[in-house]
Amino acid sequence: MSTYHLQIVTPDRKVYDGEAQKIILRTVNGDVCILPHHIDFAIPLGIGQASVTDADGNTRQAACNGGMLSVSNNEVRVVAVTYEWADEIDLERAKRAEEEAEERMKILDRQDKDFAMAEVRLKRALTRIQAKG
Amino acid sequence: MAGASMKAIKLRIKSVESTMQITKAMQLVATSKLRRAKERMENSKPYAAISREAIMAAVAQCNDPQVMFVTPREVKNRCYVVIAGERGLAGGYNANVFKAVAAHSGDTPYCVLPLGRKAIDKFQRMGAPLLDDTVGHVEGLGVSRCYQLTQRLIAGYKNGEFDELFLVYTSFRSMMSQEVEVEQLLPIEKPQDEQPRNVVTIYEPSPEEMLEKAVPDFLAGRLYSAVCDSFASEVSARRNAMDSATKNAGEMISDLRLKYNRARQGAITQEITEIVAGAEH
Repeated sequence: MSTYHLQIVTPDRKVYDGEAQKIILRTVNGDVCILPHHIDFAIPLGIGQASVTDADGNTRQAACNGGMLSVSNNEVRVVAVTYEWADEIDLERAKRAEEEAEERMKILDRQDKDFAMAEVRLKRALTRIQAKG
Repeated sequence: MAGASMKAIKLRIKSVESTMQITKAMQLVATSKLRRAKERMENSKPYAAISREAIMAAVAQCNDPQVMFVTPREVKNRCYVVIAGERGLAGGYNANVFKAVAAHSGDTPYCVLPLGRKAIDKFQRMGAPLLDDTVGHVEGLGVSRCYQLTQRLIAGYKNGEFDELFLVYTSFRSMMSQEVEVEQLLPIEKPQDEQPRNVVTIYEPSPEEMLEKAVPDFLAGRLYSAVCDSFASEVSARRNAMDSATKNAGEMISDLRLKYNRARQGAITQEITEIVAGAEH
């Protein structure tokens, strides 16, 4: 099966740098799957699960948040704000974050900008829990 | 008389020795911090480079003057993000950064986002408006804090507090050389000498919207990597400064030892002469 060069980076580290068969990511327009020889393409990322299939056909799950995806000349780059493989996710922490965000959303007004922030936190926490399980 | 000067020299040796102990300890601390700082810097580089490439490609295709991030406007006020150290004793590290700001700003009024205790103190004394004065500790500045600061910067840029944004940091070239860099962050300059590519990139939803979403992330990543770069520079500047201070102290001590021994010899010779002179009479 043909592959392409995939790089996944976050501000504090290089998460992945190698050949891959495919990657599925949550973008602002919904889920996108990139296969080899994709046309040049760029799109901002949303909050959601990611799944990478490497050259040997192993698939790994991850939680991905923000940033952008860019495909140029069969080089695929994921520039994410945070990116954690399923085995790196701290489930306890994610559950705590979920509860805290829910608590805050109960007491805050819907118009409050803190409400939107709590909502984003909740989404991130839920994504992590999903990616883990 | 000889006794008095001998005592003075001995005291001086003692004081230089204790200073040397301090500089030596600081050098060792800096050396051990340097390894981690360099690692952090290396890890922050790929993001900055890759996101820069992607952003520049989108900027080249963006022709909408509505996108504030790429559209230059009349410059009434500038903003400098100045990254300096938390402490001194690092050679010219802090001073060089401030010199670069002074040289670059010219007569244009500016506000500052200082990072590092020394930068906060310096610009407070100068009376420049500060966007934030809470980041005194650069060493532990994390990614999420950089995101918060970037949000503050973008808000300031969008509501017209300033029209240009510059980043002033120290780039780590090697253990021996670190150089201050002034980089324009906003508005993003269009790449000039880009040869027209015949491949068309699809931007979703559009290049403009892509930039609106991706530029804040790019800036936060850039800020983080500049912080890591500066901290590595600071530590290696301190290591070099303390290394030469320790060497100087060693030289001073050996000079003083020589003087002390001469004075001691002189005192003994004088005593013998006096005794011999006394015996002859």
